[in-house]
Amino acid sequence: MANLCAAPASPPMVRASELGVERDPSRLVARAARGDVAAFEELYRLNVGRVYALCLRMSGNPTLAEELVQESFVRAWQKLGSFRGSSAFSTWLHRVTVNVVLGHQRSTDRREARISVHFEDSVPDQTARVAHPGQTIDLERAISGLPDGARTVFILHDVEGFRHREISGLIGVAVGTSKAQLHRARKLLRKALSP
Amino acid sequence: MKCEEVMIFFEEDPERRLDDAAGSLVRAHVEECSACAEAHESMMALRDRVAALPRSVEPPLDLWPGIEARIDATKVVRARFGRRALMAAAATVLMLSSVIAAYVVGRQQATSVAVVASVSRSVSPEVLAVSFAGIGVHDYQATRQQLLNVLEARRNEFSPATLEVVLNNLRLIDEAMGEIATALGEDPGNELLMRQLVTTYRQQVNLLERAAILPREI
Repeated sequence: MANLCAAPASPPMVRASELGVERDPSRLVARAARGDVAAFEELYRLNVGRVYALCLRMSGNPTLAEELVQESFVRAWQKLGSFRGSSAFSTWLHRVTVNVVLGHQRSTDRREARISVHFEDSVPDQTARVAHPGQTIDLERAISGLPDGARTVFILHDVEGFRHREISGLIGVAVGTSKAQLHRARKLLRKALSP
Repeated sequence: MKCEEVMIFFEEDPERRLDDAAGSLVRAHVEECSACAEAHESMMALRDRVAALPRSVEPPLDLWPGIEARIDATKVVRARFGRRALMAAAATVLMLSSVIAAYVVGRQQATSVAVVASVSRSVSPEVLAVSFAGIGVHDYQATRQQLLNVLEARRNEFSPATLEVVLNNLRLIDEAMGEIATALGEDPGNELLMRQLVTTYRQQVNLLERAAILPREI
């Protein structure tokens, strides 16, 4: 229990980038694939912001987003051998992350079907903790308030740039359903953001 | 051209300009129809705001230490014991990440030592302790107690109805844990049950975390 009671240990961290190590993603990927954890840490530093933003928007929960980020990078580490370099590492990592988040959502849906938690509506909006100025907070909050299906499709399509066909494959719905969810999301957002 | 067709046109490609040949019919309609003009303006405004969203957000904590620990655990366990033990190790690290999350919330709250006895009595600590030890977690009771203490310290801030809902949910999760622990007692190597125990535990920690940060009602 000592780890729960002590002050958080945060020694000054020297990042590899400050030591002048390479930051070429393709070389870092090659080194990481050979088991070089330091190279993988550099890849983490280069990509964690985008991965966290995706996890935070899709989950709407900062604590869960941190867990999903960790899971995504661990999964990426385990699957590095299957990365062929046909796309950028960041693109591949993004897809790994999306799969991790969607997998979590599916397992959560199944679990919550068995054990119902009733005070969902009382939970304060934690996405607003993200430090964005002005209108961005309103939009982030509005996105986090979307129904799950609509939020997922909106983020994947309008924020992350996936196409309906890709989304269809990722979340296992028809292309038409993806389009309908996007339409619903945009309509709800326009309504939520209208003066 | 009908309003519905114009909306489909916008929906398919909000960025499309109305000055090309295909857009001329739409433009003609929009010039006459204030509702569609307003809808188009609203869609373009939403598109601009989405485009301005930050694509990168730094997490509040450095998450690398946790990732590195999991990678190291994976390497060691895989080398020594193979895939079966790897799954148990992954569960262990997952539990530890929940403990850390609980700490992040807990350290920001008052530390009353009172106990929500009605919840604590509803499950056998010994049975659960043995079960969690089986997946390498030894802080279950302490973590749970710390979060219960936070809830206890704030209980006067909540309405009786809210407290009742929270405690009922905790009891429900406790019961589920008790059933899983009992089943694990009969089948200690059952990985499915272990995973269920992990996810149920996470659900309980999440519930307590969320209860701990509920806005004051009274």
